[in-house]
Amino acid sequence: MSLPDVVSQIGQVLAALLLSPLLEGFILRGKERVQRATGPSLIQPYRDLWKLFHKELVIPESASFVYLITPVVAFAAMCIVPILIPVLTDFPLPQSDMGDILGGGMVLSIGSFMLMMSGLDTGSAYGGIGSSRSAMLGILSEPTLILVLAGVALLAHTMLPFPVNHLLAGHWPVFFSPAHIFIVCAFFVLLLVETDRLPIHSSTDIEIYMIGAARTLEYSGPLMAFARWASMMKQFILYTIFCNVLTLPWGLSHVGTLVGEAGAVGAIAIKFGVVALAVIVVETAQARLRFFRYQEPLAASFLLAVLGIVAQQF
Amino acid sequence: MNSLQFTPLATSLFSLLAIASLILVFVMLGSRWLQNYLLAYTGQCWLIALLSAAVGYYGGYPELYLVAALTALFRGLALPYLLWRITGRMGVDRELHEIIKPSSALVIGAALVLLALAVAEHIGASLAHPDTVVLLALTVMLSMKLIGFLMLSVRHEAMSQILGLLVLENGIFLGSQILVPGMPLLLELVILFDLLVAVACFGVLTRYLVTHVGSTSSLDLRRLRG
Repeated sequence: MSLPDVVSQIGQVLAALLLSPLLEGFILRGKERVQRATGPSLIQPYRDLWKLFHKELVIPESASFVYLITPVVAFAAMCIVPILIPVLTDFPLPQSDMGDILGGGMVLSIGSFMLMMSGLDTGSAYGGIGSSRSAMLGILSEPTLILVLAGVALLAHTMLPFPVNHLLAGHWPVFFSPAHIFIVCAFFVLLLVETDRLPIHSSTDIEIYMIGAARTLEYSGPLMAFARWASMMKQFILYTIFCNVLTLPWGLSHVGTLVGEAGAVGAIAIKFGVVALAVIVVETAQARLRFFRYQEPLAASFLLAVLGIVAQQF
Repeated sequence: MNSLQFTPLATSLFSLLAIASLILVFVMLGSRWLQNYLLAYTGQCWLIALLSAAVGYYGGYPELYLVAALTALFRGLALPYLLWRITGRMGVDRELHEIIKPSSALVIGAALVLLALAVAEHIGASLAHPDTVVLLALTVMLSMKLIGFLMLSVRHEAMSQILGLLVLENGIFLGSQILVPGMPLLLELVILFDLLVAVACFGVLTRYLVTHVGSTSSLDLRRLRG
């Protein structure tokens, strides 16, 4: 007795919507626990969103329409991507053929682009700094992303996430091939870049050090909630691509029954927990660097992506 | 260049070891700290020892076990120990004058790997039945040589230079293990002792540098001193 595909598809989007603050909470708490502090509660991001949705909306006088539509556009873009990727099921659901992994990446980029524009829009100094810095990182991480996707396409001869998942879940030689390992390492660095967890990202909330967070400083109330939620969802989606497509392609529902999808949610909790712990350890173990050391991790990930494509030749 | 036909499992094991040692070269290229160079070199030597043992096991060359043991002993323990002692004496723990930033060096290294791949394909085309592991060994060997040259040419610390030389030699050794596994044992021993002599000479050189020049950077050797 499997659920209708449309219900499963809605379930995928809802999973990304509802579980993304939990992932954020887990990472924040884990970071504090590693540093011997108590840390906030796991459900603190939910409380923050709730609080923000009930607060007053204050709009700067210098803001244009870009400022108003940005959080909504970013949030909508983040709701579209889970339709395209395997969050709960490992078979394509209705409308999942709208775009491949590259299309999903482009939709994710729309959200980042709009946030960048809104940072510039209000004319505040910090927003501009944040936008220019995140634009720099985006420019440098883009070639790596394209190369990683090219590597995946060479591996599986397709850009659709579902066949890639099947290939990696079923073939050990491919899973342990050097090419796949390189691609995973390169994508891990991209994951750190896109979720603001590189060693150049400051761990303190001081405006002058902010990179991605500075773009949304001018927001307040419900718009701030949407912007925050969109960034949490982006993190969740990147973790989904990293786990369910590239690294740990197991633990998805094969048939689409209710029990199977509940199990998939449980598997997501375990897999994301493992990856989040790795991210926390990497982020805590590295010393903070000044911003202009940004090329080093990005050069390393570019190199890994190139080596992944070289290793395909054997 | 008639290498053996190995089983798929053996091939994948060799590939993994070769690729892992190539990664360790990039650790050396992308870091500024001499300690990291040394650790990466040590890890690489242990991987090559494993590779020797694996080739000996799958190809039926019992003398390669001896080579593996000697590699682990000399390159994995003795050379790093000597180099570590030299670094301890030098009082320099990182590369101070960079001609090329580590991140640029990484990208150049990636380009060199692509060049090595092109050359290996070209050589492989001239063989009758190029095995994939042969192509991989050629690629890793050539890229390690090229990156060793890169280390020699863009790093100034005496330590980085000797490690560049050792990496270059490691690349040749790794390639020879897979391409011509039946290399005479005597040759291997000679190479090992060669390396020891090189490192000993290098120790003398650094001592000279520290006492007469006051630093171990080869940049300071451009001045004439009486």
